[in-house]
Amino acid sequence: MIASAVHRRSFLHLAAATPLLARENQLPQYRIVTRYPARPGVGMPEPYRARVVRVHSEGSIDPVSEKIDEGKVREMLSRGMRSLTGESSDAAAWSRFITPKDVVGIKVNCSGAPRVMSNPEVVGGIVANLTAIGVPPEQIYIYERFADQVKTVGYDKHVPAGVHFDTAENGRGSILGYDPYTYVEVDFFGEEDTRSYLTRLVSAKFTKIINVPNMKEHQAAGVTGCLKNIGYGDFSNVARSHRYAKTNTYSFIGTLASVEPLRSRTVLHIMDGLRGVWHAGPFSRSKKFRFFPKQIMFGTDPVAMDRLLIDVIEAKRKAEGAPSIFDRSPSRIREDDTPQRDPAYNHFVREPGHVEYASTLGLGEYDIKKIKVIEL
Amino acid sequence: MLLLLAAALPSLFWDGGASTAPALKENQISRIAVPAASLDSWKAVAGVAAEAADPSGAIKLLKPAVNYRPDQASASTAPWVDSNGWRFLRDPGGRFYYDAPGESAALAAAEAYVYGVQALVHTDTNGLKPFTQIIAFLKSLPEASPHPLVNIGYEDDGSAQSGELMNLLVRRNLLFRLVSTPDPKLNITVAFGSSAYPKTEKDPSVLAQLVRSNLTDDKRLVRIYGSEVVIARLTGGGGRVRVHLLNYAATSRPVLGLRVSVEGKYPHHRIYAYRVPDAKLLDFDPAAAGRTEFTIPNLREYTVIDLSR
Repeated sequence: MIASAVHRRSFLHLAAATPLLARENQLPQYRIVTRYPARPGVGMPEPYRARVVRVHSEGSIDPVSEKIDEGKVREMLSRGMRSLTGESSDAAAWSRFITPKDVVGIKVNCSGAPRVMSNPEVVGGIVANLTAIGVPPEQIYIYERFADQVKTVGYDKHVPAGVHFDTAENGRGSILGYDPYTYVEVDFFGEEDTRSYLTRLVSAKFTKIINVPNMKEHQAAGVTGCLKNIGYGDFSNVARSHRYAKTNTYSFIGTLASVEPLRSRTVLHIMDGLRGVWHAGPFSRSKKFRFFPKQIMFGTDPVAMDRLLIDVIEAKRKAEGAPSIFDRSPSRIREDDTPQRDPAYNHFVREPGHVEYASTLGLGEYDIKKIKVIEL
Repeated sequence: MLLLLAAALPSLFWDGGASTAPALKENQISRIAVPAASLDSWKAVAGVAAEAADPSGAIKLLKPAVNYRPDQASASTAPWVDSNGWRFLRDPGGRFYYDAPGESAALAAAEAYVYGVQALVHTDTNGLKPFTQIIAFLKSLPEASPHPLVNIGYEDDGSAQSGELMNLLVRRNLLFRLVSTPDPKLNITVAFGSSAYPKTEKDPSVLAQLVRSNLTDDKRLVRIYGSEVVIARLTGGGGRVRVHLLNYAATSRPVLGLRVSVEGKYPHHRIYAYRVPDAKLLDFDPAAAGRTEFTIPNLREYTVIDLSR
């Protein structure tokens, strides 16, 4: 009887004994394989680098019933998109990014579904704007990695007939929905399967992608916003990066998000912050760690938006008396279920630095002083 | 060659009495190995040829399977694979014995066949049909060289500790054969017990990882992506490679989507897939940086891919 993975203990032992493998504190070596050339200036983080619009609406969600006011959401979308683009009409604003010929993928986040996810009212509003500028419903895809999560949400009740719902993995673990010619290869800890493939939807079907993440703390990544939703949400075999307390989320998230054609086809980010998770994310199994920022952020710069997300999560945790997501104290790591109950503890050393790391890959602006935030 | 392949087919070891003959006939089983004590009674049964076999002297094998033990492997769902390849490599001329009830009989028979060893497969009534089907499949495979393709030499001291390292190498698809001295035709030699691979290291996974690191992934003859429960073996020569793939989780679920990368460029291929009608390879790429890559959409217990130049 054998284990197919190297224990963390074994790995550290080996790393200490073997210079070749002594890489615990080094960045992993990534090999990106893609047939798609770089397209400078197209997609993330352009054309609105270092610019974020944040729309707050107090009545957008009722914290008690968690019922969402769809009308207010539509209004938030309108104000946000017009402000981001400087256009005076919704149609003109959306047309800055999408044409009727495009095949549009809307990357939702359902990892916390059915409790916290890209809300169907927000996604429905996005679809309404797309069809209003002439995109046929048949050219719109709401997509995620895992079918079992998406099915719990009920997006179909909020979008017109013809809109597709698609996932990379209809059966968990199958790679048939992924593109074997586009992948990131990396060996984190001696795992046998060292490849993470890009979903075929992105490489073979979509011409444009709209990213719709949530506002969530993430036990491994620190936060899960634009970068993680578009990076981890579009590739296979990514959970291996956080198999042990010290994870590789720091560099893996940005690396995945930078792969072509994902980077250049992702043209807009709309961060659904009506409802969020400030601890034990991303799944939100406990309601006590849920909160209600009642806001939506708009932009094309995922780093700038995630930089603001860090502040949102930090402020909430501080208000709750929880340690910072930048806290790396080993004493706060627990392997049991304590972190699911007590926000003083966590399963991993969080890596919110992944946002700043992504900026070094050309994915956007991290310096808060250089980010222009428009508050509405 | 045909005789050699035929000899490698596993035998059904059946300890049921002659009164169970209808169950065998129902599954078109006409040859069995039986305990010596029951040989006479079976000789009286028409349509079933019996010969005596004594499993007590055979090497007992694990039932090939996968066990998901998250509490032992890691925080993940990394599986534990019960495979027997290392036992065959240590003792290729040995006699082996499986206790493989039900569906596992097929995987057991396929595993023994892949390594070309003599094996008795003991199963129950539920295992008769799977056994019959896999034997029919094995007989249908075209003739091919059984010569194993490896690039690691392994100096085995016969110890249990060495066996466990061999077990891990098989599991990780690090293809090796036993050597008594380093063979310059192989990329590396693993001398178990040497300073490079010391016995003082009690965790065999550390040594297995060291073997992989010393070989380097670029030189691996075969890589598997998309599953942690598939073991590969390569045989062939002269511009032909037979890729054997065993799915150790097959009794619970097929592997739906497996990417395989084989060292060398082979523009031609044929697939033979057990329990998958009209099987085809997807995204076949014979020009992937000196390697041939392809996707298998559905892998049950056993699939063979013949590659050629």
